Amino acid sequence: MRKFKTTSDIVLDIIIYIVMIFVLLVCLVPFIYMFSISISDPKAIINNQVSLFPIGINMEAYRQIFQYPNFFHAYRNTIFYTVVGTSIALVMTTLFAYPLSKSYLRGQKFAMKLVIISMFFSGGLIPNYLLISSLHLTGTVWAMLIPFAINQFNLIILVNFFKSLPEELEEAALIDGLDYFGILIKVIVPLSTPALATVGLYVAVFFWNDWFNGLIYLSTDQYPVMLFLRNIVNGTTMVGDAAGSADKSTIAISIKSAVIITSTLPIIILYPFLQKYFVKGLTVGSVKG
Amino acid sequence: MKFKKTLAVICAVAMAVSVFSGCSSKGNTSSTPEGTASTTPSSEISNEPISFSMYYSDNATLPFKDDWLTIQEIQKRVNAKIKFEVIPIADYSTKVSLALNTGNNAPDVILYQSTTGENASLALNGAIVPISDYSNLTPNFNARVKEFGLEKDVERLNLKDGKRYYLPSLFDVPFYDGGLIIRDDLLKKYNLAAPKTFDELYNVLKVFKDKNPDSYPLTILAGPRVLFRMSMPSFGISVGKNGAGGSKVLSWNYKQQKYFSGAISDEYKQYVSYLAKLYKEGLLDPEMADPIDGDKWAQKMATGKSMATYAYYDQIGGLEGASTIEGFDLQMYPALEGPAGAHHQQKNRTGAGIMFPSSTAKRTDFDRLVKTIDEMFYSEDNAKLWCLGVEGITYTMNGDKINYADGIKNSPNGIYKTMQVEYGCGSDVTQMVWINKREMTKYDENYARINAEVEAMGDVIQSIPPMPLFDDMTAEEASTLQTPLADKFEIWIDAFITGKKSIEKDWDAYVKEMKDLDIEKFCELYNDNLK
Amino acid sequence: MFKLTEQTNEPLKRHIKKYWQLYVMMILPIIYFIVFKYIPMLGNVLAFRKYQPGMGPFGTRWVGFTYFKRIFKDSAFWRAFKNTLVLSLGNLIINFPIPIIFAVLLNEVKALKFKKFVQTISYMPRFISTVAVVAILGELLSPSTGMLNNFLTSIFGIEPIYFMNEPQYFRTIYILTDTWQFTGWTAIIYLAAITGISIDLFEAASIDGASRVQQIIHITIPSILPTVMVMLILNVGRLLSLGFEKVLLMYTPSNSVVSDIIDTLVYRTGLANQNYSYATAVGLFSGIIGVILVTSSNALSKKITGDGIY
Repeated sequence: MRKFKTTSDIVLDIIIYIVMIFVLLVCLVPFIYMFSISISDPKAIINNQVSLFPIGINMEAYRQIFQYPNFFHAYRNTIFYTVVGTSIALVMTTLFAYPLSKSYLRGQKFAMKLVIISMFFSGGLIPNYLLISSLHLTGTVWAMLIPFAINQFNLIILVNFFKSLPEELEEAALIDGLDYFGILIKVIVPLSTPALATVGLYVAVFFWNDWFNGLIYLSTDQYPVMLFLRNIVNGTTMVGDAAGSADKSTIAISIKSAVIITSTLPIIILYPFLQKYFVKGLTVGSVKG
Repeated sequence: MKFKKTLAVICAVAMAVSVFSGCSSKGNTSSTPEGTASTTPSSEISNEPISFSMYYSDNATLPFKDDWLTIQEIQKRVNAKIKFEVIPIADYSTKVSLALNTGNNAPDVILYQSTTGENASLALNGAIVPISDYSNLTPNFNARVKEFGLEKDVERLNLKDGKRYYLPSLFDVPFYDGGLIIRDDLLKKYNLAAPKTFDELYNVLKVFKDKNPDSYPLTILAGPRVLFRMSMPSFGISVGKNGAGGSKVLSWNYKQQKYFSGAISDEYKQYVSYLAKLYKEGLLDPEMADPIDGDKWAQKMATGKSMATYAYYDQIGGLEGASTIEGFDLQMYPALEGPAGAHHQQKNRTGAGIMFPSSTAKRTDFDRLVKTIDEMFYSEDNAKLWCLGVEGITYTMNGDKINYADGIKNSPNGIYKTMQVEYGCGSDVTQMVWINKREMTKYDENYARINAEVEAMGDVIQSIPPMPLFDDMTAEEASTLQTPLADKFEIWIDAFITGKKSIEKDWDAYVKEMKDLDIEKFCELYNDNLK
Repeated sequence: MFKLTEQTNEPLKRHIKKYWQLYVMMILPIIYFIVFKYIPMLGNVLAFRKYQPGMGPFGTRWVGFTYFKRIFKDSAFWRAFKNTLVLSLGNLIINFPIPIIFAVLLNEVKALKFKKFVQTISYMPRFISTVAVVAILGELLSPSTGMLNNFLTSIFGIEPIYFMNEPQYFRTIYILTDTWQFTGWTAIIYLAAITGISIDLFEAASIDGASRVQQIIHITIPSILPTVMVMLILNVGRLLSLGFEKVLLMYTPSNSVVSDIIDTLVYRTGLANQNYSYATAVGLFSGIIGVILVTSSNALSKKITGDGIY
């Protein structure tokens, strides 16, 4: 090991830290701004005095959204869809990705094409709606959970990760008397925590942010919290001709900001918990060499 | 593998058959989500409450509450158990359109809909109950129509097959609910008279600009469509998002009773020239082309960046409270006079209303359902409930005078807003009967005074021109012609106003482009399909 | 390397007997794909039929290639097509490399706490929904009240610029907000790939006296190249599908010269104007182009790197 940093290393470090601090600022400022708006005095906002930090403290916006009927209920629904939906998606994606990563398996190429083609053609809104309602899934939580079990993009990421795992491990496991299910559960999955965590996070964010499917397939008491956000942030600046009441209604920016903050925070908090799997993946990965 | 393939094919076919047979034999599956309604016994035992599901368009500014006084009370009064599907307004049409288009999962009743545009073809394809066939079940509605003298207006809602597919909301007199609003304190300060014509408005704005060089005196709430809708009629046109008959580029000639190509007319040229002049001299908010949401609009008005606006009356109360400017006072004025006289946005005396998906007609208690709906929204007692709430709780009567409860009267949000948010009264979605005099009791005297003034001016508020009655193929032809025309129009109107294109020099090029896109044929299509 | 199986001439029976469990695993996912991805795809026949509301895709009349012919004649379509390509190519050129660079640089941060912190912060924008992003954008860029214009006016004395309405800014704004929203997020994939690299490799290089810059060039980047290729192919295949919601929310008539993309066109003709069949035809057409793009980029990748995604 070298003991001293070379000049190129020092330059690299400087560049890195400048970049990182820039990234931090760019990512944080809008959040701070929204947060400041959400707790500022409404008079200060309307008179354009809030720039980055809050002026006066006023929790009225939060008090108001907590008073909205169904806010907490919608929140609970979203957590349910995210947790259960992500679990189903991870199981289904893994089940498919593992056989697909075996290029010696007959039919693998065909199945892969099946996946790729489905990325580019979709039936459109009405055929999808007909399908879900003929399966009698509308109005049930399954309409939210099952149709999105496998995302092709995530599937391909996982297939490629599985492909990169050393075949020797599998071979050794076969000799130890494990069957393929055993290998998948005892060898592959533990080795794949970084990839699974990545895919899991992608899926979780999808479920967390989805409002459209919730809108068309579910009934009122099943709505997710994002639909609530959409209604508040976008409901008054709608596109279209349905004039009248939509033109007239306005919602304070402080409430919009408060809704953005409250509906975004939980999923942001999730990440640090998943992060440890990335670190774990690092140590396990070193087996390979 | 072969076996698997075969299995897969079988699976696919089986699924396909089950999916698509489901829709060809439309709506044989239970029509109501979770079967709430189907549990109702078919016989008319009237002490058993009737239960049904209903789509409700929810506006985030007055979020629906199950325990609203009106909602609770009405279910008691008509002995019904209603399952409200509360759908955000921005996505309401999507949800309704899907339910009607596919015939699956439709509710029993849909509120806040009409059969203009898309719904017309749905209705003609049998997705909606032709409610005019059941007028014996809607006695209260019929009586209202007669009372307000709206027979003609209601008849105009009939589609090509001569049937009407919804129960509209009814207005005895159309409201003057928004228009030009100016800072009255500034008019006084600069010693200006209130404008009566568009030329006078120009002069007023000019003075505002001179005294406050960094201001953009005139702004708009929501977007240009509000400005266009409220000011175009005085120039004898109405084009754009709210163009006549949903055409976007045509206008209605009230004298000759037919459509003309408004977007390339001299009247329109005059109109954009006026706006371009305002824009060029910095009198018109440069953000006007974009949706201006309520916050930004309020900010501009409250900080004095703008001193005049086109907006709705009920928005100005909150603004006066929020501004820190001393003496801040807003006032609404009657429609200004333009080349074609003084006119306000075209308005119907009927509005969006109640629709029944065709699956509802299969209910054995359909008759009772329709009667219940009729009673619920159009009877005098219940119409009063949707407007005023419950006597003794929200208001008391003092002879002929309505006295609102103290909590409502003294609320900082004003009577109108408080009634909406706290009690569910006065919502566009559930109130079907609008009596101007009764509504005016919810506002300050100014509003009533302006409304009276406007009414006295005569035909300020023109009626909405009749919709052409297209059959399916013509409708498609019309929409194919319309999309590029409307696009072109939108691009050019923005370019004209902002001065990117010169009205003198480029007008002919614009007209030629519109003609190349067959605006005249489009107009013909409209005129040929009038009743 | 010893191959686990030499399958080429293996009889089918033996193959299945050996791997039946792998096939069993696929049953559920394959059924899922057929039911939820392929059956709705049958709805595409609407491109050849005249859609009638309430009828479903099969109760309607055949019209053959009418709608496709209309596509080729439709100048609005070709404008949208061009806008889509320009916008997404620009987006690819800018936003494809940035997350890779960010991931590599972030990996070089040695202060673990700081690294974790930066990473956590950098992916935050991804969680804001598009609706909110555009709302914030409008707030920041407004000519009258926006932070940016206030800043430009007070420092440089520039007249306020109406960023959201001027066509020349639309593409830049679209691409930069994508950078803001997705850099940290997309970097997760590359970071996962980097964490998969054996530490031994770096240690060996370090002992050999390689500087960190050299390590990046000779170890990190080659190791994540397969991931980069996969991502590239996927992105090329999706060239025609942009963030529809964002474009729609940023769309104004005056920037429509550059902002009208295929998806907004489909939306306007299909949903807003009820021309469902034509919209389906346009969707089908751009799907075919997507498949061509992904197939050719996959073939190219196989030629260059010897590996593709399928």
